[in-house]
Order: sequence, then C-alpha cells, then structure tokens
Amino acid sequence: MYWNKSYECMPREKLQELQLERLKRMVSRIYHDVPFYRNKFQECGIMPEDIQSLADLQKLPFTTKVDLRDNYPYGLFTVPLEQIVRIHASSGTTGKPTVVGYTRNDIATWSELMARSLMAAGARPHSVIQNAYGYGLFTGGLGVHYGAERLGASIIPISGGNTAKQIMIMKDFGSTVLTCTPSYAIYLAEVLKEQGIDPEALKLEVGIFGAEPWSENIRKEIEKKLKIKAYDIYGLSEIMGPGVAIECECQNGLHMWEDHFIPEIIDPVTLEVLPHGEQGELVITTITKEGIPILRYRTRDITKIIDEPCACGRTHLRISRLQGRTDDMLIIRGVNVFPTQIESVLLEVSEVEPHYQLVVRRDGSLDTLEVKVELSETLFSDKISNLEKLERRIKERINSVTGINAKISLVEPKSLPRSEGKSQRVVDLRKI
Amino acid sequence: MIRQVSIFMENHEGRLNNLLKILAENDINIRSLNIAETMDYGIVRLILQETDKGLGVLKKHNIMSSLTPVLAAEISDQPGGLSILVDALTREKINIVYAYSFLPKKTDNAIIIMRVDDEVLDKAVETLKAVPGINLLDRETLLLK
Repeated sequence: MYWNKSYECMPREKLQELQLERLKRMVSRIYHDVPFYRNKFQECGIMPEDIQSLADLQKLPFTTKVDLRDNYPYGLFTVPLEQIVRIHASSGTTGKPTVVGYTRNDIATWSELMARSLMAAGARPHSVIQNAYGYGLFTGGLGVHYGAERLGASIIPISGGNTAKQIMIMKDFGSTVLTCTPSYAIYLAEVLKEQGIDPEALKLEVGIFGAEPWSENIRKEIEKKLKIKAYDIYGLSEIMGPGVAIECECQNGLHMWEDHFIPEIIDPVTLEVLPHGEQGELVITTITKEGIPILRYRTRDITKIIDEPCACGRTHLRISRLQGRTDDMLIIRGVNVFPTQIESVLLEVSEVEPHYQLVVRRDGSLDTLEVKVELSETLFSDKISNLEKLERRIKERINSVTGINAKISLVEPKSLPRSEGKSQRVVDLRKI
Repeated sequence: MIRQVSIFMENHEGRLNNLLKILAENDINIRSLNIAETMDYGIVRLILQETDKGLGVLKKHNIMSSLTPVLAAEISDQPGGLSILVDALTREKINIVYAYSFLPKKTDNAIIIMRVDDEVLDKAVETLKAVPGINLLDRETLLLK
C-alpha cells in the first residue's frame, strides 16, 4: 500500500532527472539568496552553472551543525521571516540550539512525506495513532501529527511522558499505532506487564519508533512484548524532522524520499564519497526545502546505502539501520571502527547484549585493541575449553567484521564501570 | 550427583582471597577446592558443606556462581585405585573433563571428584556403579565423609 504511488515507485531514471532539476534550482537559489553559501561556493571556486549532473554534487561544500550554530538563529534562512510559518529547534547539548524554519510549502511537503512514511509502516486512514513523541520545539511530535492528519488517521496528541495516562488511553481509545522512541516503547511494555495487562487485549498493531538508535535485538524485544510490528523511522530537524526515511513492510533498511533528499555516504576522515554498500557518514542534501535548504549536511550518523531493488516496489534508495555516530568512531591502525560493530558481534555470539569495553593502546608504533567482555550467566561455562572457544569465536567475528585482530578478555560480571546503567564503552589510552 | 559451585575469577592477586573471606565470614566450610587457570582468568570449583547457604551468600556479594553436577567416587587409597575407575570409563569411551581429590576426614579411602560431559553423565553413573570396589557417593554421604 502506497500513499503516493507515482512518486514512491517512480522509475529511477525519471527520479534522477527530477532530482537533478530540483538540485540545480536549489543551488542557484541559495547562491543568490544566502551570503553564507555564496561565500562557500566562491571559496571552492564553484558557480551554480557547474552543477550539470547529480555527480557534480560532490563538488559542492559540506554543511555542518557548526555552520548552523554560527548563523544562529536565522542566518541560513533563504526567505524573509514573514514567509516562515513554523520554527523548530533542536536541543543543543553545548551552547545554543540549532534553529530551522518552515514555509507553508515546507510544512505541506513534510506532511506528505510523513503520510507516506506512516503508510509504508502500516498505518492506514482508519488507524488510531497514539503519538507519544514530545510536542514542542522538538520536531518529533508535530511532524508525526501533521502527517497523520494528512493521512486521515485519528491522531491522539498525547505527547511524551505520563505513562499511566498513556496506558489508560491506549486501552480506552483503542489505539492501533504507537509512535514514540524505542526506549519509551520498552518502558511502556514493562509497565503493562507490571500492571498485568495482556498486550493481546489491546488493539495495538504497529509501532513506529525513532529519534534514537536502536538495534535489531530491541526490535525483536518490542515486537514480542507489545505483540506488534515495529518499524524504524529516521529524521533530523536540520533536514526536516521525522519522515526523511522509513522502513517499509520488508523491515530491511529505510527508504529515503529521494524526490526531496539526496543521500550520500562519505568517509568521515577523508571526506571522500563512498560507493553504495560501504559504511560511512550519511550526508543529506535537501532539494525542495524553501525555509532553510541545506547543502550536503553531515549528519554524523553512520549507515550505508542499499541500492538493490526492494520487494515493496518503492524505488527510493534505502539506508541501513543506523550503526552509530561518527563521534563514537575509533581509528585503529588506520581502520575505522565503531563500537556498534563490536556490539553487534557480541550480540550475535551471545544472544543477549553483554557489557563490554574497548581499550585502545599504542605499543611502540602499533595500535592494539582489547575488547573486555563481561561474563554473564548465559556465557559462563565451568569448562575452560568452552570459555576459550567463546573467546576465539568473538575474536574471529571481530576480525571478519572490522579486519582488526583484537585481544579478547573475559572479565568478571559487573566489573566494568557503568555510567547511568551503560558501560563506559571506549577507553583510549593512546598518547598521540 | 554432587553439586559443585563454579566461580569465574580474573587471574590477579587478591581475587581468591576476597572469595575465601566472604565464605569464612559466613561460616561456610569448603570441603574441596580446585582451580583451573589461564593467563587472564581462572575457574574456582568448590564443594561446600552447605551449598545452598553458600550460593545465597555469594549472590548477596554479587559474585556470579553456577552449579555444576559432578560425580564423587570413593576408591581404595592404594596404587592402582584410581586406575580401576578410569579404566572403566575408558572402556565406555567416556571422557573426563576434569578431576580432583576430596579429602575425607572419616575414612582411609580416597575420594575423587570428576566432571564428565552432560550427555554421558547418566552412562558414567551406571558404569561406575557396576564396578566392584568403587563406591559412587550421593550428596549427603559425601559430606558426612
């Protein structure tokens, strides 16, 4: 089921023509209307006319969160404020927030893409959507809200928190779709269990979760505990908000709405564009945004592009489930390593997520990686040979995933430091 | 079947001492102890006089332990005594994973604790019961020895 079949299933060649036309128009507009971009273009010695193919996108400069901060609050807006109908801001953990503005058309596009996303993830015009994303400056709440109204579903704008009320409404109003963060979904499931409420007795069928990274394991847990299908949704306020990319019924990667966004994957160190299928930092260019168009935005999210056709029939490229943030990346002997890669190996080997810690050292001129794994009851064996087998399996899998020969150390349960329940995952002892 | 308490422990000074102190302070007697070690860690295997109490104390002190079923056999304490036992198991192609001695207070015989793989455990019990001169001990009898 599609919301807008002609766009969602557009033949790729046609889709790329559309992208190029829209890209050219946007590049010309920001060059003329935004001094920030004009300066950047001039620094790179590029004119809007130099963009003649989608591949030419690579010639254009990147935009980062720092650029948005430096131009706080409205410096990157391309239209006068009277044309802006909504302003959102993302919470800045350091200093000022990043501010984005939407024109009436931007809100319409967002609603359209969110309606497509809801539909792809199994919501329907007759659905009752309990929207437990926060309403406010954060884009989650209102993003889902407008999309649900566009879809014609019944939206319950309950916002986040107040779990007792969430559960009462879920029961009494017969919510069929839940939208919130995956961690809140798990929390809700636990409270339901405590209260002795059988999820089968609820009408909930679908959950659409995002705004934080989550693993395949968490998906399975949520699906089992809430007796629903759980879908991953991706978005960020700098680009639009939720609905930039969405999982379809195949649950194998998130389609990015390419008639509005162009995704690229780069090596976060060399900034080189990587071929499809290779993991790196996701970069997104908006090609229809009016309020604050963004050129090659470095999201810091780690993923890869999947370009094989999807069984659902949508032609838009998929990005794989997010693998983490570039901020967490380690470079060991010139190889990029993400803690999430190690995590997925440990999950695979042990079925439950063990606590672990990565210790990077420099012996002479050689970097070494030690992976400390806390032994759990399921991993423990009183036979040394079994423990040695376990170490060997982890070592081999880490080697095949990262190419690094790590030392595996099994350590006593609860011996690794934790901050707020999570281990301190990385200790870098290299003195450079 | 004998219940052996197995504990994973990192291989550095003070770790074993910590465990022994906890057991001592709670008045739990260790009847037998065996340590298998690697470079980085070891497994401490204990037969406790009061297993359930011991498990409770360890749990309270956040020490992860697990129960492993092992066999205890009383054999004569003279040359060739153990050989009779191992012979019988070898004939049945049963491999011993590890074995260690238990020091009895009230008999002149020797007692050996051993672990075989779970899937041949029943077979090992049957085999040893059939051998004259080997007395397979159950939990209560062992701890009275």
